[in-house]
Amino acid sequence: MAYCSCGGLGFGGWLYLRIWITFIGTCSTSVLPAASLRSPDLSTGLGTKQHPQRQQQRFSSLDDKPQFPGASAEFIDKLEFIQPNVISGIPIYRVMDRQGQIINPSEDPNLPQEKVLKFYKSMTLLNTMDRILYESQRQGRISFYMTNYGEEGTHVGSAAALDNTDLVFGQYREAGVLMYRDYPLELFMAQCYGNVSDLGKGRQMPVHYGCKERHFVTISSPLATQIPQAVGAAYAAKRANANRVVICYFGEGAASEGDAHAGFNFAATLECPIIFFCRNNGYAISTPTSEQYRGDGIAARGPGYGIMSIRVDGNDVFAVYNATKEARRRAVAENQPFLIEAMTYRIGHHSTSDDSSAYRSVDEVNYWDKQDHPISRLRHYLQSRGWWDDEQEKDWRKQSRKKVMEAFEQAERKPKPNFSLLFSDVYQEMPAQLRKQQESLARHLQTYGEHYPLDHFEK
Amino acid sequence: MAVAAAIACRLLRLRAAGAGGHWRRLRGAGLPRGFLQPASAGEDAAQWRRVAHFTFQPDPEPLEYVIFGEDVAFGGVFRCTVGLRDKYGKDRVFNTPLCEQGIVGFGIGIAVTGATAIAEIQFADYIFPAFDQIVNEAAKYRYRSGDLFNCGSLTIRAPWGCVGHGAVYHSQSPEAFFAHCPGIKVVVPRSPFQAKGLLLSCIEDKNPCIFFEPKILYRAAVEQVPVEPYNIPLSQAEVIQEGSDVTLVAWGTQVHVIREVASMAQEKLGVSCEVIDLRTIIPWDVDTVCKSVIKTGRLLVSHEAPLTGGFASEISSTVQEECFLNLEAPISRVCGYDTPFPHVFEPFYIPDKWKCYDALRKMINY
Repeated sequence: MAYCSCGGLGFGGWLYLRIWITFIGTCSTSVLPAASLRSPDLSTGLGTKQHPQRQQQRFSSLDDKPQFPGASAEFIDKLEFIQPNVISGIPIYRVMDRQGQIINPSEDPNLPQEKVLKFYKSMTLLNTMDRILYESQRQGRISFYMTNYGEEGTHVGSAAALDNTDLVFGQYREAGVLMYRDYPLELFMAQCYGNVSDLGKGRQMPVHYGCKERHFVTISSPLATQIPQAVGAAYAAKRANANRVVICYFGEGAASEGDAHAGFNFAATLECPIIFFCRNNGYAISTPTSEQYRGDGIAARGPGYGIMSIRVDGNDVFAVYNATKEARRRAVAENQPFLIEAMTYRIGHHSTSDDSSAYRSVDEVNYWDKQDHPISRLRHYLQSRGWWDDEQEKDWRKQSRKKVMEAFEQAERKPKPNFSLLFSDVYQEMPAQLRKQQESLARHLQTYGEHYPLDHFEK
Repeated sequence: MAVAAAIACRLLRLRAAGAGGHWRRLRGAGLPRGFLQPASAGEDAAQWRRVAHFTFQPDPEPLEYVIFGEDVAFGGVFRCTVGLRDKYGKDRVFNTPLCEQGIVGFGIGIAVTGATAIAEIQFADYIFPAFDQIVNEAAKYRYRSGDLFNCGSLTIRAPWGCVGHGAVYHSQSPEAFFAHCPGIKVVVPRSPFQAKGLLLSCIEDKNPCIFFEPKILYRAAVEQVPVEPYNIPLSQAEVIQEGSDVTLVAWGTQVHVIREVASMAQEKLGVSCEVIDLRTIIPWDVDTVCKSVIKTGRLLVSHEAPLTGGFASEISSTVQEECFLNLEAPISRVCGYDTPFPHVFEPFYIPDKWKCYDALRKMINY
């Protein structure tokens, strides 16, 4: 890799490394022509996908060059360890400043008003739904909830950059992706309440959404398990020539799991059209990033696997949009994975089971809520374009709250699915033994039904 | 499908028996433990050839089948996938990095899109890193999504069971760990003919399946196998020998042991044994086993895996519930000891025919 070439980090080496890092790519793993054992040509690998398989180098004992199949690198006779570069890590791409002003006009995606308004409305509707459902858990109406406060930009910016048919594998804090894809409030609520309208048939805790129609794979609680799965799905999409990308969301905590390592490595070696989207929000429940990793975040791991990587300002919806858009284009065109680390902040608690004041200051949270929030930044942008004003803001707040409350009240009133749905879908067909168990419960309820909440369940 | 059939028949070496016929003759019948034929003893080595079932198959099947795992590309450490890459291409038959959790997770992802994935785990002993993906993900995919999503087109294959010298990490039979997991199917064949039919059924089954292949039988078992594809149903045990006095149940290699025990019992004790190959561990065929025990009144279950928590306990528990008044003797389990699988002590560890015979004798005399 680049490290060998610059031979350690004196200041010059440091600078060299910084420039190199801005365009982190896979060039060092790209195949050298069989005849060449020279150092990796840094200019060729960038932006183009070299042949995936490392070819066998022509073996020549006359050259005093490394012959090892495992690495394409030069020898060095000076003993130096590579210093991990965490002090000044991979830079953070942004388009807007914290006041929503475009910094570099050539990076402005120049999206039409309608689209940007959809960004804004998706984020704010999500925010409103979060407030109401969080409250509803506090009141004992639903058993559990997770909010998305502060991360709405990561969801909407990335979702907007995808095709509607691109397959989404999420972790649990990506409801904005579904919101952007027009998943109805009724269905969000249905899943949280586990009522008869829940497509998931009441089997999982709240926020474990799934939607086949909108190509959003059902969420599961174990962390990072979706990562190698997303890679497999991307491989299948590649084989099918589907021109589809798969996007896989996960947090910086989940990125510590073995499944994350597995997924990255498989995606790179098997050349899969996948976007790995890491929401680095500073905390995994109470564990801050300083206790999660010692390297330069998640983006710095990408090149280690041979993956094109970038770090973006996750609270800047245009930066997220641009990065995802470009990653999508190239992932599909070049059949290679992309890693986007979106830096953001988890303003809310981890979940309704968490009180984050136990491990972080209210001041810290307020800073992000007030000074660097994806919704406010976009609102400033909209207002400066003349596409939004305080009057519309007031109206929209009222309207979105009303919509949410209506869906909420409806969801409350609906019953849960019939208890026999406890037994279906374990297999595609119900095995004989399981049918016996189902019948045994039905008989049991005939005698002891009064001790069970049958009134809340559909008959 | 041809890929699958080819894989199924890759499980054993085949001697080209000359031209003609749609049957390919394979070496010998399923052999009891310890009776491994030395390779090519007294045979012309040049006549030994790789199984080439796929060359006799028409190739109309859909192009979505892929097979992958560690070392699958060159043919696999047990040669199960030899020739497939040349025939089907490198995007369908390929190596993965050395990572079982990745192999299974990746396979699940392929299956979620509807394509068929055949994931190979190099030894069943190494399946444990994938346990989370199998139990928490694959098994629950359909249920937790309300049938919006599933990974039914995933089959995981792994060499399984003792082989004479495998020791701690090349001999394990982990079926009991997975038996406790609703949502997957676990299948163990006893012979080449069974292997092909059961594997094809697993691959076509709309639920994620684990197919454990008794590795000792890769070499030792030889049998006539039809060239065309055929299915053997899952969750159906097979009564391979009828009898009236004792029911013997096993799966995989151990079926051959109990079959020999059945002859010993007939010869030395005049006892008639009903021999059942369970074939599918979950969901298992309760009816066939119970029907047999109702007839015979005695049950002996045998497996290599350790006694405690082994699958014999599930069978025993269910049978005593269903057939209590029919039992003439306590149900007998002849299993491996509650130790890791030893190396030099293997001959003492395994539930061989003498231990099974002795347990049977005690049951008869109860």
